Amino acid sequence: MINLLMGEFKRTWIQFLRYPAEVIGGVIIITSVFYGLFISAQYMAGPAIAFGDRLDAIVVGYVLWTLVIFIVNDVATNLQLEAQTGTLEQVFLSPFGASRVFLARAIASLGLRLTLILTILLIIMGITGSRIQFPLALVLPLVTLLLAAYGLAFVMGACALIFKRVQQVLGIFQFALLFLLAAPTEDWRGPARAFANGLPMIPSTGLLRDLMARGAGLDWGQMGVAIANGLLYFALGMVVFGWAERQAKRRGTLGGY
Amino acid sequence: MNRPVPDPDIALEAHQLCKAYGRGRRRFVAVREVSLTIRAGQVLAFLGPNGAGKTTTIKMIGGLIRPDRGWVKLAGLDPHRQPMALRQVGAVLEGNRNLYWRLTPPENLEYFGALRQVPRRLARQRGQVLLEQFGLLEKQRTPVQKLSRGMQQKLAIAVALVHQPKLLLLDEPTLGLDVEASETVKALVRDIAASGCAILLTTHQLAVAEALSDRVAIIRQGQIVAEQPTQALIQQFSDSAYQIRFAGLLSDGQRDAIAALGATVTENRIRYAGSPTSLYTLLSLLKPLPLLEVSQHRADLTDVFLQLVRQPSPPEPSTPTPKPDD
Ligand SMILES: Nc1ncnc2c1ncn2[C@@H]1O[C@H](COP(=O)(O)OP(=O)(O)O)[C@@H](O)[C@H]1O
Ligand SMILES: [Mg+2]
Repeated sequence: MINLLMGEFKRTWIQFLRYPAEVIGGVIIITSVFYGLFISAQYMAGPAIAFGDRLDAIVVGYVLWTLVIFIVNDVATNLQLEAQTGTLEQVFLSPFGASRVFLARAIASLGLRLTLILTILLIIMGITGSRIQFPLALVLPLVTLLLAAYGLAFVMGACALIFKRVQQVLGIFQFALLFLLAAPTEDWRGPARAFANGLPMIPSTGLLRDLMARGAGLDWGQMGVAIANGLLYFALGMVVFGWAERQAKRRGTLGGY
Repeated sequence: MNRPVPDPDIALEAHQLCKAYGRGRRRFVAVREVSLTIRAGQVLAFLGPNGAGKTTTIKMIGGLIRPDRGWVKLAGLDPHRQPMALRQVGAVLEGNRNLYWRLTPPENLEYFGALRQVPRRLARQRGQVLLEQFGLLEKQRTPVQKLSRGMQQKLAIAVALVHQPKLLLLDEPTLGLDVEASETVKALVRDIAASGCAILLTTHQLAVAEALSDRVAIIRQGQIVAEQPTQALIQQFSDSAYQIRFAGLLSDGQRDAIAALGATVTENRIRYAGSPTSLYTLLSLLKPLPLLEVSQHRADLTDVFLQLVRQPSPPEPSTPTPKPDD
């Protein structure tokens, strides 16, 4: 499995670097967005995602939001790309099984993206003299957030396997995610709260907001809920994806017939 | 189904594979009870007209399409139940690139090695050996995108071998290649088989199939209509009759005598299926007409294929149509 992960890192990295025009384009976009964030931080009345109005919160919130979108789309996008380029069936010929290969890929591309974002952030902080703090307590809710996000990614991947064209679904889903992530569900009480705890990623984003914007300590009870939520959605994603794979094999549509 | 000890020599065993696509009215039976066995080092040419079910069968063998009924064993393991079975199979699939366009040949080999559970260093070593064997060493630094079609196809085959499978599936490996590239692929297939790998090959180029294969299976409308050692099959369709061409006109007496020997006369040709010695009797009957040609008919795979494929359509099987088994 480590071997596969290394292989995926290397492949992702090489494919990324081999076409410098794309790399430069991507770097310019990310850099200008961050630069804009830093410049306008003091004027902003609060970002869409409402992580708070401190620079740290805005930047971390923005990074998280783009990462979640990126992760959720990743498996489906990758599947469609491979179907177009004619390598998808080779992936399904792997003795690892498709879920593991796509998970390794998703991790590799997240790693690449994170590296890129962090590098740019560091450079900008060097230029502007701004500093952002990243409290270590964030790591746990972050992990549960990513788990749930990967679960959703596999659900989208399953859609791509069954329906082939999922661009519109992905777009709509992005909006749903925006509302989901921005809703201040940690203030909800009673059944509404219980409902929110069952939605993907919500317990984790609530915790992140508490930690970042409100300076609260980590609520371990809520952390337990977030862990359960992350594991549940991850498992759901795997199950749905496995089902979609079996369906595609039954219909003979893996290669994009 | 659970045989005690799998014969290590058998790389592939497919048993009565059935596959239907679609449901209800649009239901279409693509493969009916296809069974195939290939031993280590053997090349089986799997031939049939377009839409006969070759690709479907190959994908069922590779675990990419689930059969409605029947089973597959790759070196004793079922690819639909035991993922480890996939370590025994490499495939170059029809109409696919099968490679990463932006990666160079060694990078493709290394990546596919990782995908098939070969340790990195070993994959790299084997990659070098394969590149050398396939004559791709000078193109080490060129992304696959910029290679010629023939080189891409050679590389796709090399990549399918990086985990040293016992069975190689080649679906139309020479499609779209020029004559020279086809010849190289042919030579490679021969080498690969000589090294002990079993090969299942589909192709429309019957000369390629005839030159390469130990056995031939011909599929038509989802059913195997012939499966035999290549030479035996050709022999069976070569009726060893003599054909004699002559000039001039036969007298009625000559005609009757020739007919009495069991030969058939059409204009200036005689077809005779008798023994080589009695051929002389026939030839002496033709005196003094000038002989233009005496030859013995020998079929090639194309004749065999056309005859089998053009036969009237086989009756629909009376067995109930297959249902998915779970
Ligand atoms: N996924 C699929 N869904 C429906 N029909 C299919 C599918 N794949 C193949 N077919 C049909 O099954 C038949 C056999 O196809 P195939 O196995 O590709 O034949 P061959 O490779 O011998 O040309 C064809 O008529 C084809 O149209
Ligand atoms: Mg085909």
